[in-house]
Amino acid sequence: MKPTTDDAILKVRGLTVRFGSLVAVDGVGFDAQRGHITAVIGPNGAGKSSLFNLISGAFRPSAGQVLLEGRDVTGASPNRMLAAGLSRSFQITNLFFELPVRENLRLAAQSVEGGRGLLRHVSASRAAQRRVDELIERFALHARADELAGFLSHGEQRRLEIAVALAARPRLLLLDEPTQGMSHADTQDTAALIRSLVDDGLSILLVEHDVDLVMDLSDHVVVMHQGAKLAEGRPEAVRADPAVQAAYFGEVQEPAHA
Amino acid sequence: MAEVLTIGRAPTPSVDAKRSAVRWLSYAFFAMALLFAAVAAALGDVFFFRLATESLIFGGLALSVDLLLGRTGLLPLGQALFFGFGAYVSALTLKHLAPSLPLALAVVLVSGTLVGLVGGLIAIRAKGVYFALISFGLAQVVSKIVFNTRELGASDGLIGVPAPVVSLGVASFDTAHAPSFFLLVLAGMAALLALLMRLMDTPFGRQLDAIRTNEHRLAFLGFDPWRYKLAAFVLAADIAALSGALYPMLRGFVSPELMFFQVSGNAVINVVVGGTGTFVGALYGSALLTALKSVVGSFTAHHAIVIGALFVVSVIFFPKGLVGYLAPALERLWSRR
Repeated sequence: MKPTTDDAILKVRGLTVRFGSLVAVDGVGFDAQRGHITAVIGPNGAGKSSLFNLISGAFRPSAGQVLLEGRDVTGASPNRMLAAGLSRSFQITNLFFELPVRENLRLAAQSVEGGRGLLRHVSASRAAQRRVDELIERFALHARADELAGFLSHGEQRRLEIAVALAARPRLLLLDEPTQGMSHADTQDTAALIRSLVDDGLSILLVEHDVDLVMDLSDHVVVMHQGAKLAEGRPEAVRADPAVQAAYFGEVQEPAHA
Repeated sequence: MAEVLTIGRAPTPSVDAKRSAVRWLSYAFFAMALLFAAVAAALGDVFFFRLATESLIFGGLALSVDLLLGRTGLLPLGQALFFGFGAYVSALTLKHLAPSLPLALAVVLVSGTLVGLVGGLIAIRAKGVYFALISFGLAQVVSKIVFNTRELGASDGLIGVPAPVVSLGVASFDTAHAPSFFLLVLAGMAALLALLMRLMDTPFGRQLDAIRTNEHRLAFLGFDPWRYKLAAFVLAADIAALSGALYPMLRGFVSPELMFFQVSGNAVINVVVGGTGTFVGALYGSALLTALKSVVGSFTAHHAIVIGALFVVSVIFFPKGLVGYLAPALERLWSRR
């Protein structure tokens, strides 16, 4: 476990969103430390996805603040969030299914390329091409690089989903249920991959259903319940918290094997 | 290629092979057009030269529709607005300023960009069927205004537009001379097609493909889809307006009918029949439909019924259009050798 130093890459303060009379996210605040894996967990309908959408710019918050590396990015559009250093993946695979794998990555890498000539051929973007080759290598997609993304297997699509989010070299990566629908082996591979990303200096904020994976992977856990923050802390502390057990673990009690 | 069953893997021909097949069909189009010109010139024809020129001009309008429909994923049902706008501005310039083709094109390009920008700012706000309806509505409004404006000739339009002479240093083209104007328009369309095909391999062109495929995700990759859609809309407006600018040089008049839905709808049909998203398909579609109208029209006055039925049949059996069907067939043929 890494020592807890106070170097927050992301500070969320009193974040709130209302849809009509429903308060989907209610005054949530937490910090995500640089170089750490921070996980958001909670039962279905706890507001995890809405929180993610607020932080990544997909929704505009009704109240509250999002500070990325000290800069106020509250309510910024997704493309501005990316420029500020934040990128995200999606729970439901969200790719350019009719385009080849390589083109998916090239599009995602293109924003790292400066100064674009109006009629310059895409193959002239050397930095983007190099980035694409790097990602194909790292995510073991070389065998499928020229295939249309829609023809990949579910596991491959999930890998590509993360690779696409990573292409523009964000400093904070938001992963929305990265192992959703994966086999046990694929889940373990993905966990190893996420760890290796953090070792390279990336900070990660994670929404995940798989509680065992979260406890194993994260440095800090935020528990949500009915739109509000219920608890936060180190994984073992959160797991021991009686309120968390009542609200969350109590509901999905599995045979004790951990 | 053998019929091999591969699990979970559809046979995807390489993107390059597909591109080169479409490119080859583009060369074939212009080769056939030159062949037509040689035969028609040898026969001393004027009527078919004018008809073919008109098909190219409406092919230009169809190219602008394909940029939006086939590449950006926006269905414009009122693209004739910009075509008619270009035709009127060109006619006014030739009549009242000077009978000069470069001047007419320049005035149309500048004013077309402004009008495209205004139209785009209104229409791009909407998606899907709403975009189509706004585009349709804008064209309806403007065509009715033109139809009722006496200064623009109202329902009669503008007549007696002089045909300019284009001097290209060594040679000069008289646009009133049917074969000369055909070759000039053919060269213009070749340049336009080359530009569009090149554009689709630039970062901007690829963003448009990405918008068509998944606009939502593009925003999370650091791009504002709205800006790219607006740029595509303005570019399409310019292409339509410049094509329209050639119309009064061919026919010597313009009328409000050029902005009517008939023209917008035909442009969409040309694209779909020719092959959506292939660009050269727009030119093939326009040539095919013009030829059909001419042939069927010589047998019956109800050619719209026959052509409508043919359109329905072709969409059912060849939903990818002529080029969308021929290009993969060519690839298979090449890879077999």
